[in-house]
Amino acid sequence: MAELSDKAREEFFSEAQEIIETLSRNLLSLDSTLKAGISDPSLINEAFRAVHTLKGLAGLFGAARLGALSHRLEDVLDDLRLGRIELGQGVLDVLFGTVDAYTRILQAEKSDSDEELDVEQLFAELERIGAGATEHESPVTGYELDPGLLAVLTEYEEHRLRANIDLQMQLYRLRVQFDLSTIDKVLEDMKERAKRHGEIITYLPTGEATSADTIELDLLMASRDDLATLIGSLGADNVVIEEIPRRARRSHPATVPPRRPTALGRADSVHLQPDLERAGLEPAASLRSLTQTVRVDIRKLDHLMNIVGELAIVRSAFGRVAEKLRGEGQRKLAAELQRLHRNFDRRLGEMQDGILEVRMVPLGQVFDRLARVVRQISREVGKEIRLVITGAETEIDKLIVEELSDPLMHMIRNAIDHGIEPGQGRVEVGKPLAGTIALNAFQKGNHVMIEVEDDGRGIDLSKLTEKAITLGKLSRSEAQEMSRDEVLALIFLPGLSTRESADNTSGRGVGMDIVKTNISKLGGVIDVHSETGIGTKMTITLPITLAIVSALLIQAGKHTLAIPLSSVSEAIAFEEAAVRLVDGREVITLRGQTLPLCRLDRLMGLEIAPDFASRRRFVVVAALGQRRLGLVVDFLYGQEDIVIKPLGKSLSGVRGFAGATELGDQRVGLVLDAASLIEEVLAGIEAPRMLERARG
Amino acid sequence: MANLTQSTASRLARRIGDRGPVREFLMFALAGELYGVELTRIKEILSPPPITVVPRAPRNVVGVCSVRGLLVTVLDLRRTLHLEERPLTRRGRILLGAAESGEVIGLLVDEVRHVVRLAATEIEPAASALGGDVSEFVLGIGRPAGEFLILIDLPSVVSG
Repeated sequence: MAELSDKAREEFFSEAQEIIETLSRNLLSLDSTLKAGISDPSLINEAFRAVHTLKGLAGLFGAARLGALSHRLEDVLDDLRLGRIELGQGVLDVLFGTVDAYTRILQAEKSDSDEELDVEQLFAELERIGAGATEHESPVTGYELDPGLLAVLTEYEEHRLRANIDLQMQLYRLRVQFDLSTIDKVLEDMKERAKRHGEIITYLPTGEATSADTIELDLLMASRDDLATLIGSLGADNVVIEEIPRRARRSHPATVPPRRPTALGRADSVHLQPDLERAGLEPAASLRSLTQTVRVDIRKLDHLMNIVGELAIVRSAFGRVAEKLRGEGQRKLAAELQRLHRNFDRRLGEMQDGILEVRMVPLGQVFDRLARVVRQISREVGKEIRLVITGAETEIDKLIVEELSDPLMHMIRNAIDHGIEPGQGRVEVGKPLAGTIALNAFQKGNHVMIEVEDDGRGIDLSKLTEKAITLGKLSRSEAQEMSRDEVLALIFLPGLSTRESADNTSGRGVGMDIVKTNISKLGGVIDVHSETGIGTKMTITLPITLAIVSALLIQAGKHTLAIPLSSVSEAIAFEEAAVRLVDGREVITLRGQTLPLCRLDRLMGLEIAPDFASRRRFVVVAALGQRRLGLVVDFLYGQEDIVIKPLGKSLSGVRGFAGATELGDQRVGLVLDAASLIEEVLAGIEAPRMLERARG
Repeated sequence: MANLTQSTASRLARRIGDRGPVREFLMFALAGELYGVELTRIKEILSPPPITVVPRAPRNVVGVCSVRGLLVTVLDLRRTLHLEERPLTRRGRILLGAAESGEVIGLLVDEVRHVVRLAATEIEPAASALGGDVSEFVLGIGRPAGEFLILIDLPSVVSG
């Protein structure tokens, strides 16, 4: 690739990436419209435009491989939109193949690798499709019709146009001057009279008029009568009738509808720069950016967020100084400083929200990729799958989105492979032939929930326990004591897959244990529900952002700790007398429900602080997904916004902490990882022996 | 000026010629012994800021502290080298160095002395001085001007 500044390269890559995503989306829509038996030419046009832009971009940046692929793809899309090739599943498969090829090429370009990418076969397939192009043209493109007109035809009008052409009708253009005051009546009248000869398909103002009181319309009419008959019947002083000629040769480049409609048959609007116009672009548009957006490296936002974090520490210092001044009797100064402090606080909050908002991206970004995967796998394994997506607009931190795609992809592979029954099997149990996978996202408080649901056979609990026993993860007697939910949770143990034979999709090494680990790295949890014969639903609960979090500061033993508020449901006073022992575990009853307790100081082996020993204690209720855990702590300091910094590599083996944060006055506080605590303590209750083995 | 520089250079050249290449070590005290660590490995010497103990951490980790916003894992060199533990005095310092992973690590030492320059001839390799079965942390023994200096290999200390 040509020498370029890093910034320009970044721009190029992200723009190319966006275009490829657009292309992918278009192909997916095409796929679904094709399945529904509808053909939507605008989708092909859009894909064509995307590829054309990409070709230009590749040329500009000297990315030869990208250019070569775009060039071939453009030709095929051109044939498609002009109806020279018929769109079918086979063609779509090849088109989807180009999206993958684009992704690989882009990656190679990014890493500056000159590695040979195996695209020859794809090129050959594109070539083969192109060769299949028939000289037969789409009827509409057979006429010298203005593309501007085609662009503004309603679906019905387009249908009428095709129908008339199919009936071998001749097309005419009637240029008519109407008086503004009587246009309604005259036009109706004219339509009525035209009926005898054929039909008026559409009309469009030409934008030219002889005086202010008149308007000129171009009427598109189809008729079986010849020009002379029509002139005889409809002709008048204010009417000019012309025949619209058929196109002479196929090689004549037809035009993509430009975005702005122009009047019917206006010769001067047609032949601009042929190539640009082919792509439906206006010349100027290709040079300057169409949108008011900038692309920003996420690391720059992280940096800004860090500065905000540091400012928050300065803000707390302000507060302390104000308190100190008040204590020293400097009331006036103290009040003034307090006011500044509040103002600063508010602005800082706004800034924080602003930066956070910039980091948010819709989940649709990852869902689109998944839709492609679903299509690909379903064709690989020969199962018909309907993917239903809701809540694609739900926003979440950009970094989380990036990390979500692999876990979700694996869950979907699992659902198609293990969940959805083969077609015949479904019909036999009275389910529709096509399996449904639902991908639902929605926000719930400070969390985003993502559900992956299938209507397949459900998880076979007995098979699952058998497998776990075979792998030595648990004993037969333990298995018998386990509840349904405990058994379901077995799928998250390493090495478990309910299929006997590993195949080329789900059996490829990664298991649900990796999915679970990846989700917990993001501060999330995953729950599974499954009904035999009805289906399986996996629910991921994630925090909305990772950058800055509101946390509750607590004291446990000699430690001041922070726990993200997103995982706290409430805090209550602790009463030793209310504690009950169940099977050696401490629990309390909270509003009629059992709440398992965890004494943080004991769990972590924290030193007892004498100051707090005699005081009243508290229970912080941590809740994630369905699970709750009461953390017994010595003191609650209140809420604070914190920037979480990860612990170093040498502490990566330490469980229970999400990182550390600065508490001001130079001290560092550890941040509890509610997800892993809940995991640790509740897993201990659910199946202690099992977990021991899994860890060992 | 030119003369002076020239004479310094020639003096240096003589010294290097005499004693082989010279390396600089930072000398520090720990449990009554003197240790040395190669100066280029040390980024900074700090008076210990408040250190937060990390429960469940490996035994040689004291905790974490913040150095101008950077989170640093602090190791107690006494624990790493299996020496008797003792609380820090006001002379205690933290040596900042980088692990191979890029993580910044702080090493807690009793007292920092000064920099010594050791030629290759003044360093006894660990194996020949102490026998084959010696800790991987020890590079060798330095003997500048009659002193006894245990030279440690910082990367293996912080990565171990």
